Amino acid sequence: MNSILDTFRSDGLRQWLPLATLVILVVLVGAFQPAFLVVNTLLQLASDTAVLFILATGVTFVIMLGGIDLSIQSMASLSSVVVALTLSRFGYGAFAFAFGLGALAGLLSGIAHVKLRIPSFIATLAMGGVLYSAALVTSKERSITLGESERAYLGWITGTVFGIPNVVLIGLIVLVIAHILQSRTRFGRYSAAIGAGEPAAYASGVKVDRQKVIAFVLSGACAALAGIVLVGRLASGSPTLASELLLPSIAAVVVGGTAITGGVGSIWRTLVGALIISVVRIGMTFLGVNIFAQNIVFGVVLVAAVAITIDRSKIPIVK
Amino acid sequence: MTIDASLSSSQAAKPAPRRRWRIAAWAPLIVLVLLCGLITLINPNFLTFGNMVRISQAAMIPLVLGLGATFIILMGSIDLSVEGGLTLSAVILSMLVLNGANSNAFGVFGILIVLLVGAGVGFANGVIHVRLKIPSFMVTLGMWFVGVGAANALLGGMAIRINDPMIRSLAIERFLGFPWGVWLALFCLLIALVIQNYTRLGRYIYALGGGEDLAALSGIPVGRVRILTFTLAGVFYAVGGVLAAAQLGLGNAQIGTGRLFTTVTAVVVGGTALSGGQGSVLQTLVGVLIVVVLSNGMVLMGVPPSVQIGVQGLMIIAAVALSIDRKRMRIVK
Repeated sequence: MNSILDTFRSDGLRQWLPLATLVILVVLVGAFQPAFLVVNTLLQLASDTAVLFILATGVTFVIMLGGIDLSIQSMASLSSVVVALTLSRFGYGAFAFAFGLGALAGLLSGIAHVKLRIPSFIATLAMGGVLYSAALVTSKERSITLGESERAYLGWITGTVFGIPNVVLIGLIVLVIAHILQSRTRFGRYSAAIGAGEPAAYASGVKVDRQKVIAFVLSGACAALAGIVLVGRLASGSPTLASELLLPSIAAVVVGGTAITGGVGSIWRTLVGALIISVVRIGMTFLGVNIFAQNIVFGVVLVAAVAITIDRSKIPIVK
Repeated sequence: MTIDASLSSSQAAKPAPRRRWRIAAWAPLIVLVLLCGLITLINPNFLTFGNMVRISQAAMIPLVLGLGATFIILMGSIDLSVEGGLTLSAVILSMLVLNGANSNAFGVFGILIVLLVGAGVGFANGVIHVRLKIPSFMVTLGMWFVGVGAANALLGGMAIRINDPMIRSLAIERFLGFPWGVWLALFCLLIALVIQNYTRLGRYIYALGGGEDLAALSGIPVGRVRILTFTLAGVFYAVGGVLAAAQLGLGNAQIGTGRLFTTVTAVVVGGTALSGGQGSVLQTLVGVLIVVVLSNGMVLMGVPPSVQIGVQGLMIIAAVALSIDRKRMRIVK
């Protein structure tokens, strides 16, 4: 068992494993269902992946630091409710409002995490409860369908440019921004440093707490954006709209090869991971697997991917 | 007196500053008493026998789940698979006893099978966590969705009505005014107390939470203790599943929704530290009562139930922030 894991851990192989998996999966599904490899289906796949990718991108920033954010699905749902409720009053301002709310929620989780020194999984679990509750109260526990006049504001999400759905373009913009943040800014470097070894990063003068808070703000903002895109696609908002997305999002990050222990990873890997999750989902739908039962597969995939990518030298005592 | 017993055991595990720890151990109980007094002032109906029964009914499932989770948290780990284990157990139970969907009627035997299923889920958690060396929150996060997904797959979107009179009587029939389910939950508390205070496993759990490297060096079979504890917790979640199915009268896939949150809130509000080694199942009883009394009080005051999840979230943050010993941990992830 361990020798197999060791082989996977050898970096050369591990680096390319996610991409190879993706290609194999696409070929497999394509072989069974030739209709899958048509441009339109692939664009549809890309649109379906966009929300998952945006959520996963946000949580990637947090996982890079060695933390976790379990509140993203509640934030996305809350953001959908907020947009649906305020769209008629604020117009385009509703999107900015929801986005700002996401950043604020991330800020609060981050502060609870670093100032009160609460482990991130419990701080964000609690914050998720607060956000879910807020969504339930503001929506009066109902789903809100948008009227005709409100749908006019959704053109920037539902439209297409040269045949490419805007959702895909939004995903690409997020990809570019996140990639620049991660590879070209001080924040990105510091994140990787903190994830690789927090005491060393701290000793070399990195403001660890500030970087962590920024990561949570980004995660909250991405979750809010994902909620906004969901409203655009479904023309409604609901307090449970995104509740099934937590597991696939974290699975996407980990399957892409970002280690849960932090330090190793990139947005590109998350993109590959999100595509893998989408292709697996489509494959299962072709095979007729019940949508809820698909969670069994994602749960197993998540644990398996963590087992392969985790850096055990960093956690002498596994708790 | 009983709290004193848990006090001395925690001190045996970790010689904390005596005075500070003493106050910290009593704080949840004081909060509970103050809370009861406050709600009684606002609404005297709180202290009626009928309301006590209602509170006990609301507390029985969180208590059983909290007992299992306490052992895990005492080790310094976490179990997010509460809802998975509970849902799967409840659904399998509804399929095994006299029900409206198939002709099975295993009765008590069905309950035993369900307890085994719970043990199996916990055992899987433990083995993956220990043998593959994956942090427990990640393993149990996966298991949460595997459990609920499996329950969904078994049901195929249906709900199964339970017709077994014995299961139903857990929620309906009463002894001394309280439903049998409440007595079952108290029996579980007794078992958990015995395991915690009078068995080697209980000692080992405290030792692991107090300092795992030291525990390993003193010859404690750390891996085995962890697997056993996760298995034990799985059995408690299965009992919770039986009670939940009895209370609802059917097995469906949403039966566990929100239970993880209440469980974690109850355990940490009771004063059991997430860092491990400090706490006890009796403190979890106090924590469960705080959570249940608070939500009961909010219902009496007319606060909508959807607000309660948010209040619980804030309680988790407050309780964890108050109980964490910041000197012991420089890196918080």
